[in-house]
Amino acid sequence: MTTSNKKQLTKKELNKVFWRSFGLEWDWNYERQMNMGYAYCMLPVIEKLYDNKEDQIEAMQRHLEFFNTTPHLATLILGISAAMEESNANDEDFDTESINNVKVSLMGPLAGIGDSFIWGTLRIIATGIGLSLATKGNLLGPILFLLIFNLPAQGLRYYLMNAGYKLGSTFLTKIQQSGLMKKLTYAASVLGLMVVGAMTAENVSINFPLAFGTGDEATTLGDIFNSIMPGFAPLMFTLFVYWLLKKKNVKTTTLLLVCVAIGLVGSFFGILGV
Amino acid sequence: MLVQAILLGLVAMLGNAEYLLGTSLLSRPIVMGTLTGIVLGDIPTGVALGATLELAFMGSFSIGASIPPEMISGTVLGTAFTITTGAGPETAITVGIPVASLVLIAKNIGMVFILPPFVHKADDYAAKGDMKGVARMHFLGGFFGVNLIIGLCVGCGYYAGGPAVNALLSVIPEWVNNGLQITMGLLPAIGFGLLLKMIMNKEVACFFILGFALSVYLGIPTTGIAIFGVIIAIVLTQLKSNKVQGELVQGGNDDDDDF
Repeated sequence: MTTSNKKQLTKKELNKVFWRSFGLEWDWNYERQMNMGYAYCMLPVIEKLYDNKEDQIEAMQRHLEFFNTTPHLATLILGISAAMEESNANDEDFDTESINNVKVSLMGPLAGIGDSFIWGTLRIIATGIGLSLATKGNLLGPILFLLIFNLPAQGLRYYLMNAGYKLGSTFLTKIQQSGLMKKLTYAASVLGLMVVGAMTAENVSINFPLAFGTGDEATTLGDIFNSIMPGFAPLMFTLFVYWLLKKKNVKTTTLLLVCVAIGLVGSFFGILGV
Repeated sequence: MLVQAILLGLVAMLGNAEYLLGTSLLSRPIVMGTLTGIVLGDIPTGVALGATLELAFMGSFSIGASIPPEMISGTVLGTAFTITTGAGPETAITVGIPVASLVLIAKNIGMVFILPPFVHKADDYAAKGDMKGVARMHFLGGFFGVNLIIGLCVGCGYYAGGPAVNALLSVIPEWVNNGLQITMGLLPAIGFGLLLKMIMNKEVACFFILGFALSVYLGIPTTGIAIFGVIIAIVLTQLKSNKVQGELVQGGNDDDDDF
């Protein structure tokens, strides 16, 4: 067999997939979530690899199936899918089922690490730094916010595209064996938690203006809490909300209404202040 | 007025187009508030109100299949009416939160009735081997199913809602305004609670307290704590992997690091 009739993807198709992946969530739908975006990403690959209409149809239908993961990291799976489609185009005995099986088995773990790194760490650091300037009305706030989030997130998107294609379907087993996934998740949660802690201290506020005692003896409930630890009440309130979310499965919409109610009632009776 | 309404509608559509532009967080209040400020000619107020709403909507972000309140419309209209009425920052919350809940209903109508036909049409095109058809459904589905709806809600809401908001603001008593300001201090806790639920477990819970304590006792700003956090995370990961390796090779000689 000569190499001339071997189907091979080039940098050109992979770059197309990379750029198309920016629209993965554009028509996120309840039925199959990111399926339309995924299929759209794969079109250049399908066009390059299959001349036969039947094969093209099969491939398109394959990639219109359910898909959902952290969008910035999805290129890893797209890269792997591209590599597998390439093997499929060159090997008649290739098990096409395995292409979607790999997609399905990867999207869960990838979303796990992606949610803690992209949403739990990177977004929070970008928000924290952006907010510290933006609360003063400084235009640099939103600009830094976008840069700090997008440079690593989109850089990762590009890197994973090529990594996924190069390593093909062996990628997952490799990084799970090396324990890299676990290490990354651990590091991301340490960093993320420290930043969330700092932002809780800076942004959650509860004040108790009611005074006890008279004259010089007067203290407020807030003073008592703060003598335990500065920011004691906001910390306890945040942990209480965490507990409600984690153990009681309270919905965020309910919590939002509860916060409004606490604010209004506290203000009406003068227990809470600004 | 009409021009501003159209421009604000376009700002909202740009925000939703984040999903065409790499999930780049354009839709976050900190960005949307700023762009609203630019349209209405008051950038510093727009940025500051965006920051206020960013904190209020900290918990609104979509992971997995959850659909949060429609914060784009809440932010654009909340910021816009606060700027045009010259009211305090609590107005942005007063207007923003109900708007976000209302527009979520409109968005859901789009997602339930308008978007699915495009998804099914794409299946038909795929069955015929029509790649261009599949691509077209991808773009049109997102545009008509979600993007345009949000743009229309914001544009029409701004054009029609001004007098109504003015009338509403004039009848709100002082204690309600105060209460909403107190609420502004509480709302970020929901966002942080959600994040904690996502990433905290017993092994790492102490780092949340560490970040909090560094902030309240030493007054280190968030950026500084992020820098310390990166260093601590790197050091601990290295210590951990050395320990694992040490156990595996029974205290054998240290490998060079695996990077």
